[in-house]
Amino acid sequence: MTLPVSPHDARAIRISHVSKQYGDYQVLKNIDAEVTRGEVVVICGPSGSGKSTLIRTINRLEEINSGSISFDGQDIHAPMKTRELNRLRSRIGFVFQSFNLFPHLSVVENVSMSPVRVKGIARDVAHDQALRLLDRVGLADKANAYPGQLSGGQQQRVAIARALAMEPPVMLFDEPTSALDPEMVGEVLAVMKSLAADGMTMLCVTHEMGFARDVADRIWFIDAGQIIEMATPEEFFTNPRHPRAQRFLADLRH
Amino acid sequence: MINDIIAIIQDYWLLLLIGQYPNGPLGGLANTLILSALSIGLAFPFSILLALARLSKWSFLRWPVTVLVYVTRGVPLLMLILWSYFLVPLLTGADVPSFVTMLTTLVVYQAAFLSEVVRAGIVALGHGQMEAAKALGHGYFGAMRFVILPQALYNMIPSILSTFVSTIKDTTLGYVINVPDLTFAASQVNNQLLTQPFQVFLILAVIYYAICWSLTHVAYRLERRITRRRAGLTGVRPTAVIAPVKIVSEQL
Ligand SMILES: Nc1ncnc2c1ncn2[C@@H]1O[C@H](COP(=O)(O)OP(=O)(O)O)[C@@H](O)[C@H]1O
Ligand SMILES: [Mg+2]
Repeated sequence: MTLPVSPHDARAIRISHVSKQYGDYQVLKNIDAEVTRGEVVVICGPSGSGKSTLIRTINRLEEINSGSISFDGQDIHAPMKTRELNRLRSRIGFVFQSFNLFPHLSVVENVSMSPVRVKGIARDVAHDQALRLLDRVGLADKANAYPGQLSGGQQQRVAIARALAMEPPVMLFDEPTSALDPEMVGEVLAVMKSLAADGMTMLCVTHEMGFARDVADRIWFIDAGQIIEMATPEEFFTNPRHPRAQRFLADLRH
Repeated sequence: MINDIIAIIQDYWLLLLIGQYPNGPLGGLANTLILSALSIGLAFPFSILLALARLSKWSFLRWPVTVLVYVTRGVPLLMLILWSYFLVPLLTGADVPSFVTMLTTLVVYQAAFLSEVVRAGIVALGHGQMEAAKALGHGYFGAMRFVILPQALYNMIPSILSTFVSTIKDTTLGYVINVPDLTFAASQVNNQLLTQPFQVFLILAVIYYAICWSLTHVAYRLERRITRRRAGLTGVRPTAVIAPVKIVSEQL
């Protein structure tokens, strides 16, 4: 008789006692947190507090010095074959602040390339799927354009479609709207909202407090490498407990 | 003078074109072009391997290749040719044909130069492309093959052509180890005529100039096309274009 390898667990991501340093500088200090399936978490905090570092350790774009991070019951930072790490990474969607689209590929190729090359999906199947995803982010008419011909907001929506094409159960966003002109922020947030409404598990580093208020289930406030407040948006915005969180919110309002 | 030149061409065009073939080994212009094409054809993939090794995080790959590249670039090509010519038979005990000696030396020499162009092209792309590929689940080689190299190498096309031009010029050095190329054929002609070295070597210079100039011109046109296309495509990373372009002008 065989048992399922990973018991069906409500936790999508479990971060246990994670610490990381650059030389003498401690970027992450004993971070302990978890994300349940279908949950939307917004991570905020001052610049340089370690938000990007934290979110990048989850798909191991950054290594950690101690602790563990489990995803789907597997320890991401355990020693493993690179094949295995690549497989895990392909199941964690990641959206960068600077989009990082592949400029030599058309929009539809950007979206369909990895399903073909990484997952081995047939080219025409991946192409159709890419067109559906582009439609979903409102860019069906740009399928044959090149990234350089798109606005920042459009590029970021393609980047989201590209990540979704791997059908990840979890999506990570590192300040997806920070590099955008103000008038383009809304279109990207709208796509993220619709993803959240469809039940996607999401971890978003963002300073868009309107988005946090409307969409987040929980907010993690990071300061100097520690999560010093974990709260629902309601609690966080009306009654932040930590003085630093209070100051952060006061600064944002100006 | 003009008449002398026309007479020389009429009498010796076949020798200049193919050497003593079919009565002897293939030589002349044909051999020059074959030698150049083969060396660039082999140097190109070799240069990618060298560039990847130089960018590797493993020092046991990085160090020997860095030394190889620096030594090769820092030594006159003629020196390398003489080394291979005298040392390789001594070390291997085998009698290596001069064509093969010349080809191998040119491949190593041009690959060392090209590898720096490849490396600059990869570095100019920045970390973002590699990270995006990794985040999607590509391994190192997949990311290189589908994301990094297509961009870096596309920018390199003009450099490859200009390296081809310098390879054609470099093949003349094969003369010192008796590679039967165009220069070798011209000096045979000169030895037979004895009295007209100026005319013979003028013909030689004109042929080299015509070939190299046309290829340089093609490289220049391509370079402009690529610069324009890249500008339209990304509009953000002119450095990726500038790096190879600089090297083109250095080599010409
Ligand atoms: N590769 C690195 N080497 C050294 N220090 C780094 C490196 N990356 C980030 N840091 C430092 O770690 C701290 C946290 O960075 P980051 O996670 O990018 O902050 P945030 O995303 O919250 O603005 C910063 O002080 C930054 O200077
Ligand atoms: Mg950041």
